[in-house]
Amino acid sequence: MQRLAAVLREDVCRQIGEIGEADVLVGIPSFNNARTIGHVVRAAQAGLGKYFSSCRAVLVNSDGGSTDETLDVVRQASVDFGAVLVQNQVQPLHKILTPYVGLPGKGSAFRTIFEIARALKVKACAVVDSDLRSITPEWFELLLRPVLQSGFDYVAPYYHRHKFDGTITNTIVYPMTRALFGKQIRQPIGGDFGFSGRLSEFYANQDVWESDVARYGIDIWMTGTAVANGFRVCQAFLGAKIHDPKDPGSDLSAMLHQVVGALFSLMETYRSSWESVVGSMPVPTFGFVYAVGLEPVSVNLAGMLDKMRMGVRELRDVYCQIVSPESMADLVAAADLNDERFALPDETWVRLIYDFAIACHRRTMNREHLIKSLTPLYLGKVASFVIECRDSDAVAVEQRLEALCQAFERNKPYLVSRWEIPR
Amino acid sequence: MKEIWERIIVEPFERFVGMIASFLPNLLVSLILIVAGIVCGWLTRRVITGLLRVVKADRFFKKSGMMQALERSGLKDSPSRLIGQLAGWLVVLVFTVIALTALKVPAVENLLSQMLLYLPNLFVAVVILMIGFILGNFLQRTVLIAGVNAGVRLARTASRCVQYGVYFFATAMALEQLGIGRETVLIAFAIVFGGVVLALALAFGLGGRAIAREYLERLIKGGDDEPDDFHHL
Repeated sequence: MQRLAAVLREDVCRQIGEIGEADVLVGIPSFNNARTIGHVVRAAQAGLGKYFSSCRAVLVNSDGGSTDETLDVVRQASVDFGAVLVQNQVQPLHKILTPYVGLPGKGSAFRTIFEIARALKVKACAVVDSDLRSITPEWFELLLRPVLQSGFDYVAPYYHRHKFDGTITNTIVYPMTRALFGKQIRQPIGGDFGFSGRLSEFYANQDVWESDVARYGIDIWMTGTAVANGFRVCQAFLGAKIHDPKDPGSDLSAMLHQVVGALFSLMETYRSSWESVVGSMPVPTFGFVYAVGLEPVSVNLAGMLDKMRMGVRELRDVYCQIVSPESMADLVAAADLNDERFALPDETWVRLIYDFAIACHRRTMNREHLIKSLTPLYLGKVASFVIECRDSDAVAVEQRLEALCQAFERNKPYLVSRWEIPR
Repeated sequence: MKEIWERIIVEPFERFVGMIASFLPNLLVSLILIVAGIVCGWLTRRVITGLLRVVKADRFFKKSGMMQALERSGLKDSPSRLIGQLAGWLVVLVFTVIALTALKVPAVENLLSQMLLYLPNLFVAVVILMIGFILGNFLQRTVLIAGVNAGVRLARTASRCVQYGVYFFATAMALEQLGIGRETVLIAFAIVFGGVVLALALAFGLGGRAIAREYLERLIKGGDDEPDDFHHL
């Protein structure tokens, strides 16, 4: 209770004390999501009522100080159980609305959820984003059931997304986590996860809440920590992932810095877990996979190429300290290609990412400078991917990503061999 | 005649010999101190260079951009070696000062005491310059990377302005610490800084009026560039 008092207000601690214990917990981090959070809360209520009617359930909204009506919407959201065909007696759903403490970000919101889960001794938790428009009650069954019935500790999401959506996932995080830890978790930073009470407690006990993990780095940290520590991991097919239109103020380089920084930190912490891994294996997948219609997205290809070329031109001195001379030559050659013929080959990209990881490990320069300087190169890879897959269907795009993943796995000896050699 | 001879020649000569006799031990001590200083300086150079290599200080200097700057200025030695040499020469200098004091020549003693009183200022000035150099390089890279990521065309120019601004500020502070042209430096800084701000204000206000209006309109009404609407995560 003392730990809880450090991260929660007194009235919230009292409310937790009154609830006592619970079986399942759904956590929703939020910040000014009044427009969408009502739908997410109703989906959670319906899902818990429909699939876990006999369980004692708690819904936690961990808020970052919203100034719109987010809290009122969460408080007032309710579902008509008759309309969603729930006929059995449903246990009352406790709602805990609490601001989180610590660095502003999703990770700090999750920390509060982990602490509440520990205090309530829950068996299974699910966390979902508050800006989802495609969430359904079934998501909660798919995220919680593998934990409650099949003994899994971590359920990663698996969705269908637009081929150009989730580009940090597709070009860096998925291939790299797969090559490092040998597990084919397709959406390691999906944002919607299920996990056991045991794993939640393990997360809460880690001392990472003043790092990038407190912000966007939380998703990759959760996945990487679960895999590296030998927790049982699976994934669940949730259908389509459609968000609210993205916040135009979100800073790509800050996001990249937090996600990639958290991934590089995992490499430091769990070196012994990834160094000897060769190849990769699929993880068990739950849910019935089906095709879904996805909303089109617009891509400013010229803008991305412009920034990539500008980066190669202006940051050459920085890159020369980070990447190998061969990679630098490939990069300059790629930047010289015209828009239609532009391509950043997989082999070059993989070595660039591994060079950045090695430079970060060797502390070649300030960590934030190093990772943020990756932004133009990342945009170059995204542009290359968009050009290559412009006319491809979903299956062809997945095949293309599989080739990229294999390039990451094939080049892993390059990473391992350079990890400990001083430059 | 004999008395005059003794007074003019012998007595001064005896006094001179007496002075030489009393000065010789001091000179000997000074020479020994200088030799000891050279030996200690050599040892200090070896020890400091070795220690800096053990703690991998060159990596830090490489990160701060100091190594590249030294290379650009034609110095081929590593910063560890340079600092070792500097420390060694400092030890030699200290021993030389002590050796000169041991001579007990009032004029030299006076000069040395003034020099010793000035040394802390010199040390602080060097520290200010070093901090200014490291900070200037750090901020230059911060502005350059942020500018490139934001797609700012003048990212390099802006980053150089910040870098040289910090260098200039540090130099002005160091010179003030040394008491060199105290007021001149202050006035020069104020004129240059004020001039740059005024020039920018005029350039943006007159020359770039249309750009400024367009920029502000875009800022308020939203850009007309085709935006990306995909999620990166």
